[in-house]
Amino acid sequence: MKKYITYTVIVLTALMALSCDGDRSSGEITLEWWQFWTDPAIKPTIEKIAADFESANPGIKVNITDLTWANGREKIVLAFSSGTAPDIVELGSDWVPQFSSADQLAAIGKSVGADTSQYFGWSPGIYENEIYAFPWILGTRVLYINRSLLIQAGYDQNFVPFNWEQLTECCYKIDSIGKDIHGFGSNAAEKHRLYKKFLPFFWSSGAKILSDDGSFSTIASDKAYEALKFYKELSDSVGLIDTQRRLEDAFLDGSVGVIISGDWLLKRICNGGHDIDFITTIIPGPKYPGRSFVGGEYLAVSKQSQHKAEALKFIRYLTNRENQLLFCKENFSANPSHKKAAADSFFTGDVNLQVFYKQLNLSRMPKIDEHWPEIEEIIEITLEDVLFNDAPMAEALYQAKLDIEKLYSAK
Amino acid sequence: MTARRIIGLLFASPWIITFIIFWFFPLLYSLYLGFTDYRLMQPSYNWVGLNNFSALLSDQSFLQSLKNTLIFVVGTIPVTTATALILALLVEKNFPGRTLFRSGFFMPSITSMVVIALVFTNLYSRGGYIYLLAKILGLSPPENGLLLSDSTALYSIMAMDIWMSVGYYMLLFLAGLKSIPKELYEAAEVAGAGTWRKFRSITLPLLKPVALFIVVINTIKSFQVFVEIFVMTKGKYGTSTAVFFIYNTGLEYFEFGYASAAAYILFVIIALISLVQFRLFRQRSLW
Repeated sequence: MKKYITYTVIVLTALMALSCDGDRSSGEITLEWWQFWTDPAIKPTIEKIAADFESANPGIKVNITDLTWANGREKIVLAFSSGTAPDIVELGSDWVPQFSSADQLAAIGKSVGADTSQYFGWSPGIYENEIYAFPWILGTRVLYINRSLLIQAGYDQNFVPFNWEQLTECCYKIDSIGKDIHGFGSNAAEKHRLYKKFLPFFWSSGAKILSDDGSFSTIASDKAYEALKFYKELSDSVGLIDTQRRLEDAFLDGSVGVIISGDWLLKRICNGGHDIDFITTIIPGPKYPGRSFVGGEYLAVSKQSQHKAEALKFIRYLTNRENQLLFCKENFSANPSHKKAAADSFFTGDVNLQVFYKQLNLSRMPKIDEHWPEIEEIIEITLEDVLFNDAPMAEALYQAKLDIEKLYSAK
Repeated sequence: MTARRIIGLLFASPWIITFIIFWFFPLLYSLYLGFTDYRLMQPSYNWVGLNNFSALLSDQSFLQSLKNTLIFVVGTIPVTTATALILALLVEKNFPGRTLFRSGFFMPSITSMVVIALVFTNLYSRGGYIYLLAKILGLSPPENGLLLSDSTALYSIMAMDIWMSVGYYMLLFLAGLKSIPKELYEAAEVAGAGTWRKFRSITLPLLKPVALFIVVINTIKSFQVFVEIFVMTKGKYGTSTAVFFIYNTGLEYFEFGYASAAAYILFVIIALISLVQFRLFRQRSLW
């Protein structure tokens, strides 16, 4: 009896050992990839690109795990903290520094160094002169104008405002068309959204959040004050204040004349069959076309990954010209990170996508470091105080400066 | 130890092991983290003693979130409890469609909180039915919607919470009412007691254990309010509560040590209030 039990234990142990080490025994590598593109319109394209990669690279499998924007970041953070991070992870541009500064991402500078000139948007992926994340799909915001309302307001159908004065006048005229029509869509206090709508005006005025050497905050300046004053006046006088999604609804149903939005609205208009006559243009600056906010999706390799070379190979495959084009066409994304993809006729032949391309060249990314989430919150609180609680602007900006500097002095 | 005890322990061991690994250890570990400067994804951390706790007591964001939580608790519990009791008394009586009313009141309790929060976000927005109703009633709601104003956002969420949870507590009160012996009412009627007298002298005192359970459970639940806030306002417009603060500190800024300390302060507050509630309910004079 004892003999049988011993044999059974040995066989079971051997079977368990084999099943646990399936990868190595079959010589196959499985790359775990966590990503956020769950929309049924684009998910098949993601799966196709992964399947094509597997066919081109026998022995490498890609296992895709979907994340949502609602809680994906928490899952990633907890996975890194518990040592169960995937090989490849998609990160938002403003998240990358928190992971790279915490030494959780593999340095990829040596492998991609020669090709950096072929891509836009490296700065969020760089930490202390090393590259940790690869730019994939970028996203900037432009001005959308309802052309029907513009014409009703007495403008020529080809008119686009290119400075603050023209924008103000245009919004006022549209606002005066009727009681239920608003000139400008102004964002409510939505986390991670409000500041992205103000920063274009802030940057266009020449204001900066931090000094060039990063040693102190310059957010309290005459230029910042001018930008905030302009935005508040526009918001107070002709603004419809609501969440981004509802502002876009209002724009589509013709109750708001001008809003700031990204390429997702183009996709919504195209896919949703909305009958709206609209134009897009570069966000106006004080005197000339101004800057905008740019963020994006980045791909990084976990430092814990056992298959870094293969993971990077997959990232290079995902971000090559052909796959970026395929992705952008299916998803109606306006800003691929690959410069040659951006030069394709798909983008150059579409007037709206060209606006996004031009705006990208005028856009800025905030100087992102590990304190960025806190800085973002400080800017949002300042905006909420000024826009919705009528706090004095100069004092609010000065308080923001002190709060930002406190972050760096605490370090 | 007898064989019988060993076998008993073996049967209970899956639960005991699960409890130790997933409940007891995390509880102790988070208490320990409260005394450190632990940040998620950082390999090392330091013992900081009571620094986190003292910093929290002067942290305006934390104090504001505690204040909001208290407003939520004080504002919802009496209304929820009283409404649940009234509804239970109403639907206990025999009348046509009683089951429909019972099911209707209970329905929100079995619906996903996220779904309810999303529906109410629309109802409260400019053009939503509740917003329009407030306008018709001349209540002059904020121009941008009930959730986009400091003066109404928290109260709107509280109202939704009352609507959502009242059915569950109604059911508990119903169970309590069913357990009261009919003979007591018959004896009271013989003695000439009216409806109010019967309610005050029989129903209320005998519902005391159920009421205590409801108040304590509801207090704990209300102190932990989070999902509604997360879905509807993300803590904006004066709606940040204690648990939302803990979530934000831990998972947005990775300050797990600080967040753990905040969680334990909240734990102490809940424990103290529950203790006070137990003592208060023990006093006969309350009834």
